Amino acid sequence: MSTPVPGYDCTIDELMVVTFSRAMSNDTRAFNGAVSFIPVCGYLLARRTHAPELVWAASSIAVDADPDEIGDSTLSDSLWGGASMLSNSPFDFWTYAQGARYNTFAFRGAQMDAYGNVNNTVIGPYDAPKVRLPGGGGMADLGAMIPRIYLWSSTHDPRTFVDHLHFRSGIGWGDGGDHRERMGMPGGPQLCITNMCVFDFEPASKRMRLASLHPEVTADQVQEATGFEVLMPDGEIPTTARPTAEELHILRTEVDPTSARLREF
Amino acid sequence: MSKVTTLEEAAASIPDGSTVAIGGLSMNSAPMALVRELVRQQKKDLDLVAIVAGMAVDWLVAGGCVRRVMSGLVSFEGLGLAPNFRAAVQSGQVAIEEYSEHLLICRLQAQSYNLPFMPTKAGLGTDVLGLHAESGAVREEKDGPTGEHYVACTRLAVDVALVHAHEADMRGTTRVNPKLVWMDNEIVNAATRSVASVERVVDSAAFTEEPERTTYPRFMIDTVAPAPRGAYPCSCFPDYSHDSGFFTEYSMATRDPEEFSRFFQERVVSPDTWEDFLAVNNVSTAVSA
Repeated sequence: MSTPVPGYDCTIDELMVVTFSRAMSNDTRAFNGAVSFIPVCGYLLARRTHAPELVWAASSIAVDADPDEIGDSTLSDSLWGGASMLSNSPFDFWTYAQGARYNTFAFRGAQMDAYGNVNNTVIGPYDAPKVRLPGGGGMADLGAMIPRIYLWSSTHDPRTFVDHLHFRSGIGWGDGGDHRERMGMPGGPQLCITNMCVFDFEPASKRMRLASLHPEVTADQVQEATGFEVLMPDGEIPTTARPTAEELHILRTEVDPTSARLREF
Repeated sequence: MSKVTTLEEAAASIPDGSTVAIGGLSMNSAPMALVRELVRQQKKDLDLVAIVAGMAVDWLVAGGCVRRVMSGLVSFEGLGLAPNFRAAVQSGQVAIEEYSEHLLICRLQAQSYNLPFMPTKAGLGTDVLGLHAESGAVREEKDGPTGEHYVACTRLAVDVALVHAHEADMRGTTRVNPKLVWMDNEIVNAATRSVASVERVVDSAAFTEEPERTTYPRFMIDTVAPAPRGAYPCSCFPDYSHDSGFFTEYSMATRDPEEFSRFFQERVVSPDTWEDFLAVNNVSTAVSA
């Protein structure tokens, strides 16, 4: 469902895509996994605006794809039109990922914790789950390999943002502090973009910290919707920047004319 | 000697209790025609290796064929959870052996290369490793000289790999068009025996004319089973895409056990031949070459 952002002439999905897009740059070399409509829109938008050299491999397969529209799967061939290369899994993709030739990956989980670790495996005890989820897929792998990790969530609530994951399927900043560094992992989560706000990660503890609030959302509301203590920045909390008319036009007419991104809402 | 046989005979050669690796990536290129035959033949106690899977695993679970699933991911992506897989794992009817995509690939590579383990950084710092503490199938280690952490992924023996491809000749030389095989080569390389369902059987000259386009040499493929549209309802790029309508109808039907049972029988299990199955599901076999 498409929810308007007060005062911004756009909807929350559009604000999230634009915010994601602006975090990308010309040296972004990205790929995407399953059910990743927001990041896919973000890469395509960034490439059409401020980051023309950005690399995106659709479905982790189709390098430089430029699809006419985004279908109902972000892993399927509907996304591969215009690609300059269809790459294979072990010798192409996993080599580029392990060597951090690809430097950017976005994932989400049914649960996420303050350190940007995610659970997409089970709700409830592992041996007797209340809900068996799809499994970690590549996120357990890529969390350890890729230096710039982005998280997003269209369901900012205490069920999603939890103090303790029921299962750690993918690593963000791990136990926090220098955990990743000690394990020999590059970089770590950079931002978490939600339907209420944007989090960055406090440099020492590596815990989520409020970076900006979407219009008419308060810090108290974010804390209430979050199952762990949200760190607050020094000084005033900025409002998430307004998308330009050009960004919105390109998103609506070129990147995602069928609004496939709403499948996440 | 020709390796070409029927789907029925290819499936009949797989005994109950086998470890069967299923090719494809999510909705792409799963060997659905072979999987349907396994269901029809009421196989039992299969241990599945399915790296990133969906409908194939769900059919086999619905058919009561599965003892254990070794996987990184089983879902219908944005179209929902794989309903029978989910229910069977929650009830404990089917055991799940939890991996990530790359941990499973590395176990298959260790098997293929005949090495005790394949190292990777995949899975470090996650709860997946703890689940294997007892068996040591994948285990965290530290390299002495450099102090680097890695995960040692031990060999995974596979009895038979099932993959779907575009073309094979009667000797088993097989081609995926043109080379987009995802992890299928990992399971073929690891398996004792491999079965390829193919969109079409072609003359050997098709391979000798363009040997650079061959995916699997004939000594890696033991059985070839013709199955036009053999990945339906999954895709076989670039010939055809996945059929979202089938996924949705299937998921809707699982809301009521009786309705699902009827749906599964009528739409999947009962049709006598693969061609009948396609006809029941209104799929044209007129595939562009």
